[in-house]
Amino acid sequence: MIVPYALEISVVCVGIFLLMVDAFLKTDKTTIAWTGVVVLLAIFGLTFALGPMPKGVIPEAFYVLDPTALFFKRFLLLATVLTLILSIDYSPVYQKFVPAAVPQAGLGEFFTLPVFACAGMMFMVSANDFIMIFVALELVTITFYVLVASMRKNQGSLEAGVKYLILGALSTGFLVYGITWLYGITGYTSLDGIQSVLPRVPEQYQPSVLFGLGLVLVALGFKVAAVPFQFWVPDVYQGAPTPVTAYLSVASKAAGFVVLLRVLEPFVTTPTFQVKVFGILTILAAVTLILGNLAAMSQQNLKRLLAYSSIAHAGYLLVAVASLSAPGAKVAIGFYLGGYLLMTFLAFLVLLNVAKVSGGDDIRDFNGLGKRSPVLALALLISMLSLAGLPFTIGFLGKFFIFEAALASGQYVLVVLGAITVACGFYYYLKVVMAMYWQPPAPSATNIQVSPFGQFLIALLVLAIIIFGIFPQPILGALTHL
Amino acid sequence: MSTSLAPWIILFAPLVAATLILFFGRYSKPLSAGLAIAAAALGAYLSWTLFLSHEPIEAAKFTWLSLPNFTVEIGVTIDQLSKVMLIVVTNIATLVFIYSIGYMDHEEGYWRYFGGLALFLFSMLGIVLADNLVMMFIFWELVGVSSYILIGHYYSKDSAADACKQAFLVNRIGDFGFMLGILFVWLATGSIVFSEIFAKIPGAQFAGPATLTIGAILLFCGTIGKSAQLPLHVWLPNSMEGPTPVSSLLHAATMVAAGVYMLARIFPLLLTVDIARDVIAWVGGITCVVAALMATQQNDIKRILAYSTISQLGYMVLGAGVAPTADVPMFHLFTHAFFKCLLFLCSGSVILGMHHEQDIWKMGALKNKMPITLLCTLAGLLALAGCPFFSGYFSKDLIIAWAVEEQPILGWLSVFAAGLTSFYMFRLFFVVFFGKPKSDHAKHAHESPAVMVIPLLLLSIPAVIGGYGFIEHPFFPHIEHPHHVPEILHIALLAMFIGGLVLGFLLYFKADKDPLNIPFFANRFYIDDLYAWIVKTFQDGLAWVSAWADRWIVDLILARGTALAAVVFGHVLRCLQIGNIQAYAFFFGAGVVGLLYFLIVR
Amino acid sequence: MLIDFLPILLHVVVAVGFATVVLVLNIALGRAGKRTKIKDTAYECGVIPEPGPQPRFSVKFYLVAMLFILFDIEVVFMYPWAVVYRDYIAQHGMLIFWSMLSFVIILLFGYAYAVKKGALEWGR
Repeated sequence: MIVPYALEISVVCVGIFLLMVDAFLKTDKTTIAWTGVVVLLAIFGLTFALGPMPKGVIPEAFYVLDPTALFFKRFLLLATVLTLILSIDYSPVYQKFVPAAVPQAGLGEFFTLPVFACAGMMFMVSANDFIMIFVALELVTITFYVLVASMRKNQGSLEAGVKYLILGALSTGFLVYGITWLYGITGYTSLDGIQSVLPRVPEQYQPSVLFGLGLVLVALGFKVAAVPFQFWVPDVYQGAPTPVTAYLSVASKAAGFVVLLRVLEPFVTTPTFQVKVFGILTILAAVTLILGNLAAMSQQNLKRLLAYSSIAHAGYLLVAVASLSAPGAKVAIGFYLGGYLLMTFLAFLVLLNVAKVSGGDDIRDFNGLGKRSPVLALALLISMLSLAGLPFTIGFLGKFFIFEAALASGQYVLVVLGAITVACGFYYYLKVVMAMYWQPPAPSATNIQVSPFGQFLIALLVLAIIIFGIFPQPILGALTHL
Repeated sequence: MSTSLAPWIILFAPLVAATLILFFGRYSKPLSAGLAIAAAALGAYLSWTLFLSHEPIEAAKFTWLSLPNFTVEIGVTIDQLSKVMLIVVTNIATLVFIYSIGYMDHEEGYWRYFGGLALFLFSMLGIVLADNLVMMFIFWELVGVSSYILIGHYYSKDSAADACKQAFLVNRIGDFGFMLGILFVWLATGSIVFSEIFAKIPGAQFAGPATLTIGAILLFCGTIGKSAQLPLHVWLPNSMEGPTPVSSLLHAATMVAAGVYMLARIFPLLLTVDIARDVIAWVGGITCVVAALMATQQNDIKRILAYSTISQLGYMVLGAGVAPTADVPMFHLFTHAFFKCLLFLCSGSVILGMHHEQDIWKMGALKNKMPITLLCTLAGLLALAGCPFFSGYFSKDLIIAWAVEEQPILGWLSVFAAGLTSFYMFRLFFVVFFGKPKSDHAKHAHESPAVMVIPLLLLSIPAVIGGYGFIEHPFFPHIEHPHHVPEILHIALLAMFIGGLVLGFLLYFKADKDPLNIPFFANRFYIDDLYAWIVKTFQDGLAWVSAWADRWIVDLILARGTALAAVVFGHVLRCLQIGNIQAYAFFFGAGVVGLLYFLIVR
Repeated sequence: MLIDFLPILLHVVVAVGFATVVLVLNIALGRAGKRTKIKDTAYECGVIPEPGPQPRFSVKFYLVAMLFILFDIEVVFMYPWAVVYRDYIAQHGMLIFWSMLSFVIILLFGYAYAVKKGALEWGR
């Protein structure tokens, strides 16, 4: 039995250790990544041997361990492991865009920074106090600024980095500003404290509370890519190194949603604020659904398509957030994100392997993939179908649970909108499938070989998508029990 | 403990085998065959244990999904019905798997074939054990998938590729009905678990009996697809493109019977909806006659058996529509599974001996070259044709008797179909085994290896004795016999059998080519052509409509309109996503103002 | 009801007001006297400045400056820590010591990393 926050501490230690190895030992840099993978998996194992929170040392108000937090700690560890594996695959491309003073320059940091981001996000999902939320969030965001911009000889990467930095700083500003307002009115930074004060806020201060919450929502909306704070997403996703894009779209979004859930908890349970908060969430969900899906339809680049699809998925998740009054909404969000992890990493795994050979990630680079590499094509097919939400895949059950929660809480407009946009989704995901199976490959296109380990990973992800799509209980169970 | 786990072991052993074959099968032929056979044999052994133990079995249940507001548990049903079906499926599967070693010896894709078989067995057992409609539907679809894989085994052959696509698509039509049916039953009773549905039927029908009737008929659509009833029967004869053991196991003995099994499973529900029962009886009755007529003019040995299967499935469906207990159609399913499987395996033996020649008019005089096959065929044939004291005689006549009592028109039609059965089977028998050899292959035919012949002999035993009381009573304790059967029925049936035999003998004993030529039957009532015509007309119509629409709506309005819309939308998007960081920051600020406005002021 | 927005309005007024005042002050004070092109040059002595008013700094400068700020700001954390140190030890024990120690050790690793990577070497 170990204390819960030993998990985060050990992840930080792993990060520091890897950084020191990178600085002082002249090992092959991929060893660093593999070490990270193994150790993080070991820590993943430790999550099954957690004891209760010890009394007194760190107050409950700062750090909570509930089923949601634990589930997402595992989620983030797995996401980081997958990112590291993708990064190893990606390292030849990466090195082309980094000034090579010494061999493998920059790779050490490229492999180590995700570990720090992981630690930050693991703190985020347990944070129950605005100070803690802010510090953890900054650890994550700053790490991502560096990761996004790290291919220094690639203009796209640099541009993405600058955009992400400036807009991210802007949103962080709003976050802190919002926190000060909430602190000013309620006198607490801890969410429990705020929860206890909220019902007693005098009427003339209520707009100020909403003002503060609104600013916090802006910052979190930026994190989870909700419209209208999504402008950075397409440019950053396209410019960033592919593994970082995958990491950003899965882990960062998931952590953002968990924080969103925690922050909203006091407000949606207080009758005086409930109506207004649900109102604004409904609007956010609706515009995010519409814009994400419509914009995705005209994309010609797979990475950009996945960026818009990531906005669209944020829309579905926001539908569930706007339905928080239904008992199943929180579980639905967790399950949806769990599925999103599997299918997104599968898509990026294929994309990375194809782009390495084809030299580009436009949809036309996938023409005839069914002939060039049946394994990759099948994997991308499953991933796309699951993202679109076909029955017997995890994507379907995710959407099903969300719509079920929305119906239970009476969000009929969002359900109708969701059903329409799912149809749009089929259009643009199947566009990729059509390119793979109906278009002839370009004459210069060569067949693509996948390493045995890559094949193993693809098989694992595909199986997980289908098995959990039929038998979701393991994930649902993890979301409801410690 | 062991008996509560046994159903799960039976269910998952084939899946484990399939997975192992997928990963390691390609390295060793005996390994893939061995894994599949071991899984099937283990299932057969455990099925017998389950069947013979009379204590009530509480199989472990587990939660399929639990959300905070609702929970669905899945488990298995172990009752008389599923025990019998388990025995049929696992035992026949074991024998067919063994037989496949010989039949597939020189074929490519050996491991793919056995992997597919194991996957099929898993899915089929899932249908048998399911305790709720959704689980049954999931496995129902899985059966469809594995059938698709196996029919398309020779996927480089165009006809096989087309056949597997057709089978898959036609089944989707039926499955769509099945899915809607589940929804309706759920609306009517508020549950998808069989036992709960049955518990709720008698008193409360809070959505009204009409919903339940529609639900039952829609569920029956699933049967129409899977059990190849009219009008969705077209896929089954074409699916004979698959390897013969597959035809035997899937498309004769077990998978196609899943539809009938489903009817038996929901039988308590059917008993409460008379209209649905009438629909079922009529579909089954008409299918059994029409398919028998089609069978009389086919020349491909496997297609004859395929139409015969459709016809026999028609009997079972008819039985589900007229009999008072589910045991009546299940009894025929049971005997039919053995003798039809036997007949298909015999035809496989003939085909192998004939070097993959399937046209019966190129065979002939095989009686000396393949004596064991001949004997086994005869056993299966007599059972199928309803020769007294063979298994089919008991089970089929029981259904016919019930039909005569409940729906006289259908009853006498099915008596006629029995005569046709006898006729087309003896036609096949005489043309293949007697007369002169009609091709070189027929002259040099040879008996099949022991690994194929032994399953034939083993299957002959239940085909012959499967209908007697000492088998009937333990397996089907709830069979009821009708009370007011006219005396003449038994004589008529006997006459029909002998009439078919004599007519077959006279026409075909020495025939070199078919003395009868009825294009209407040979062309399967032109139903296939009708479908082709409908599809084509539909496509042409659609093409015409879309051409018209293209010209007048798309070009005139939409092209201009959408072009405009696309330009506008694209322009708006481009305006938004201009890639300029100052603009992004501005929009961001605008978003903040908007959000705060909606949050505070509104 | 509208009075409820007063704090927010005040806030906006102060923010906008401050910006406006500063800008206006700039114009008001900066435009004092006559302005000609010659008067706007750096030294007003007729010598045309070479090579332009903004000398280019080595990027190393920024790196070192950033590291300096980083470590400098971390030290600021120690002031409040030092203020409550004695009272806290009396009440809750040594946790406060160990947490600062681990913080400093983490910083030390960062320093080691920076040195080893050559961030403080001017010559390279």
